Amino acid sequence: MLSIHRVIETLNEMEAEGIVEHYAIGGAVGATFYLEPVATLDVDVFVAFGASSGALVTLEPIYDYLRAQGALVEGEYIHVAGWPVQFLPPTGPLVEEALHDAIAVEVEGTAARVFTAEHLAAIALQTGRAKDKARLLHFVESGVLETERFQTIVNRHRLDEAWQRFAGQFLTDEA
Amino acid sequence: MTFDLSDILASKRAHRSRLAALPIGEKLRLLDALRERTIALHVAAAQAGLRGRPPGDADPPEPAWNPGAPR
Repeated sequence: MLSIHRVIETLNEMEAEGIVEHYAIGGAVGATFYLEPVATLDVDVFVAFGASSGALVTLEPIYDYLRAQGALVEGEYIHVAGWPVQFLPPTGPLVEEALHDAIAVEVEGTAARVFTAEHLAAIALQTGRAKDKARLLHFVESGVLETERFQTIVNRHRLDEAWQRFAGQFLTDEA
Repeated sequence: MTFDLSDILASKRAHRSRLAALPIGEKLRLLDALRERTIALHVAAAQAGLRGRPPGDADPPEPAWNPGAPR
């Protein structure tokens, strides 16, 4: 049975057992914590490993742990509670910062760590695919972004030009 | 029949706001339901020879219910 709640419980178990130092949910599922639910095909989980893991980042400990629990690994996905989960190490300074600043949200008695809305929006701006632009527009239109915080992140990660292009394309002809 | 686009858009925004304001547990269950429906649709389409598997699934799981059953 599909259950993102069970995915979150599994992530917490992995963190408690030291398989990962900490995790945070990003992508469309992360956005769901702030916006209306939108159909998505996978769960993006960003993970940080302890300093003792050395310079080489490997997700094998995660795969080994979950395989031992009967999870099916399929390419870059591992199926947990019916959901394809993609574990991702930080892909750059913005995601590293997002992972560091992730917040804890209670989901029916279970703690879940998720990127802040501002980081999700900035990552969408940086990634820049059509669906990322749609998500960024949802964030802007929803009013959930703390504008100053978002702009600070945009400036810090040199996304000013990208933001100007996005704003010029999508935010100048509001009814 | 006439349509007032501004009223329609306002109604859509209000609906999206209501969905966004749902408790997170309920929103995540909606994601579960949306994925189950997507899988069911892809399985049905594949069986009809219309398309391949949904992304992220080499072998989509059998739906837990009869896709042809009324919802």
